[in-house]
Amino acid sequence: MTAYSLDDDGVVVIIGSGAGGGTLAHELARRGIDVVLLEAGKHLTAEDFVNDEWGGYEMLSWLDKRTSSGTWRVAKDHPLTPSWSCQVVGGTTTHWSACCYRFIADELRARTVYGEIPGTTLIDWPITLDELNPYYDLAEAKMGVTRTNGLPALPANNNFKVMHAGATALGLNVTTGRHAINTIPYDGRPATIQDGFTITGDKTGARWSTLNVELPKGLATGKLELRAQSRAVFIEHDAAGKASAVLYVDAEGVTHRQKARAVVLAGNCVESSRLLLHSKSARFPDGLANGYGHVGRHYLRHLIQTVWSTFDKPVHMHRGEIMGGMIDDFVRHDPARGYAGGFYIEMNSMGLPTTAAFMEPGWWGRDFASVIEQYANMAGIFMSGEDMPQADNRITLTDELDAYGVPVANIHYDDHPNDLKMRSHGYKVLTSIHKAAGAKRSVEAPAYPASHNLGSNRMAAKAEDGVLDGNCRAWEVPNLFIADGSNFATGGACNPTLTIVALAIRQADFMARQMAAGEL
Amino acid sequence: MSAITAHKDPKLPPPVALPEDASWVGALSLFDAQAAETLVAVVRTLYPHDGLPERIYRRTVFHFDAMASKAPAAAQVFAEFIDMADSALPLPFRELSEGYRVQVLKTLEASAPFRLVQRSAVRFLYDDVEVWQAFGYEGASVHLGGYVNRGFNDLDWLPDPPAGV
Ligand SMILES: Cc1cc2nc3c(=O)[nH]c(=O)nc-3n(C[C@H](O)[C@H](O)[C@H](O)COP(=O)(O)OP(=O)(O)OC[C@H]3O[C@@H](n4cnc5c(N)ncnc54)[C@H](O)[C@@H]3O)c2cc1C
Repeated sequence: MTAYSLDDDGVVVIIGSGAGGGTLAHELARRGIDVVLLEAGKHLTAEDFVNDEWGGYEMLSWLDKRTSSGTWRVAKDHPLTPSWSCQVVGGTTTHWSACCYRFIADELRARTVYGEIPGTTLIDWPITLDELNPYYDLAEAKMGVTRTNGLPALPANNNFKVMHAGATALGLNVTTGRHAINTIPYDGRPATIQDGFTITGDKTGARWSTLNVELPKGLATGKLELRAQSRAVFIEHDAAGKASAVLYVDAEGVTHRQKARAVVLAGNCVESSRLLLHSKSARFPDGLANGYGHVGRHYLRHLIQTVWSTFDKPVHMHRGEIMGGMIDDFVRHDPARGYAGGFYIEMNSMGLPTTAAFMEPGWWGRDFASVIEQYANMAGIFMSGEDMPQADNRITLTDELDAYGVPVANIHYDDHPNDLKMRSHGYKVLTSIHKAAGAKRSVEAPAYPASHNLGSNRMAAKAEDGVLDGNCRAWEVPNLFIADGSNFATGGACNPTLTIVALAIRQADFMARQMAAGEL
Repeated sequence: MSAITAHKDPKLPPPVALPEDASWVGALSLFDAQAAETLVAVVRTLYPHDGLPERIYRRTVFHFDAMASKAPAAAQVFAEFIDMADSALPLPFRELSEGYRVQVLKTLEASAPFRLVQRSAVRFLYDDVEVWQAFGYEGASVHLGGYVNRGFNDLDWLPDPPAGV
């Protein structure tokens, strides 16, 4: 087992082993770079996981307290758990449902394409789709995304048959979509057995995660040291203003100082902004890399919502992979719809426990009972759409300290009028698809806690517009990087993980080049 | 109701077996009989599934009790809630007809104690394997080989999509 000393200032320290951090750790290690990966959660294995929605949730989730404010429904429904991610080796890739879509070119030029929209802080990305595409190719290959690299698509399951019937009747373009789930054995991992439990840890390994792909490969290089149950609490810098060490607390509660050549934050957006805001110094009185005040701002969480419908006959939506369906007719920006940006329609299935919990938190009585009793005859359909960046939708620190002495984060989010227009249109479309397949009743479920956390340390072409440059490097701290979705300049419509992974591979290339040139 | 068999993950404990008569409250560590029976009536009013036997609602309250005995703050909130529910009308909650029970709960809806009780009821009631069985959710599957050969695509009342769609 590779082990670096705390005083080794030649190592890259990465905070967080999920989609961004876990991928970057492997990609750097395989380029011969020494990496220490700090992960707050435990190192669990497939053996530990359970096929149980609440059991999995309680085993994997980031349950530390957060607070929330603003007009978003989440602040009312889930005030202390406004954002949904994991605290475990592998991060939320142990929990995700593996939809893998690419940004389209227009989304990377959101400000230019959508124009001036009052109340928003839209910018264009500092990189283009042409620059990103080669890394998307690499990401899809490493993740084994269906319909790429000759890998077959997911087969239609019951819930998809409903979606397909409705969408086809309406003339929409519907497929089972693209997923980082094996339909045939690939990269030493088996094909899915359609167990429907990828989101409680995936006991078979058919779905890509950093836990079962990137980390074992990274560790095998001998260049990566993974320290689980190691919670980063502060980032220090030296007199020159470069990040020099990370303070972290181990499982025994002991604080250590790991020196670093470069530091990468990949704690899933909220945690990365929180850590930067907390890492104050005389030079950075408002938090590390926060001279322009963008850290924590422009927080995005996508317009996510589900419609659950009941039918006359059984669906058994819980059988099989849970999100194997996609409609892309509404992805492109179309001003005729009356709002900016677009959305993907995707299939969604949940078990009875979480369907009951998320369908309409707070709903009770005979009406609710009559709907949930028909679980066997229920189908689900979902959308992920682009939300508008706003300066005051942001992560801030509260006065309350957590068990590690770091202030608890608040997430503030006000819905923008554009968001509401898209949500309303989206619900209508989702419902019409189920109606066209024969739905008796459709229920518009609100957003659940934010699962796509983005934008709060965004990259921008100019230092005054964002925290990071186009290489996801802090404008103000030349050896500080971000590898999670907080680096997105705008949100786009699609589920973010493929892009997080592509950006992490690109970042590894950049860091390796800089190191080779003696500049990092 | 449906021709399925529900399974909890074999690694998880089986549902607790409570006596079928009034002595079930003896299995609780914190709530007394009055509190426990009131909460059973509350959960049934919140989620009235006439076909479900009483023992399922009791098991939900058993979970409330376990929660409350681990967290004094939660115990306090449950106690507060029971007081509110019992003092809203001239009869204790348990003795009210369903219509009056609903009326009482509606007046409490905005309170923090109601929220804890309602959310906990959803959390535990719909996690009960007997409820899964009743409503057609089969649950854990990896230990049975997933659903690949057990009906993941057996819906037959709509046309099959073309292969490879
Ligand atoms: C239910 C669900 C379904 C999803 N499905 C999809 C999908 O189908 N497609 C898709 O693209 N995306 C999906 N996502 C989103 C996806 O999981 C995230 O986009 C992705 O995992 C984010 O990667 P990340 O590296 O930013 O963070 P994560 O993967 O969450 O990893 C962050 C890691 O950092 C660790 N960490 C945080 N702070 C510290 C600290 N101070 N010290 C040490 N470690 C720390 C955490 O413990 C965690 O392990 C889903 C999310 C959820 C919740």
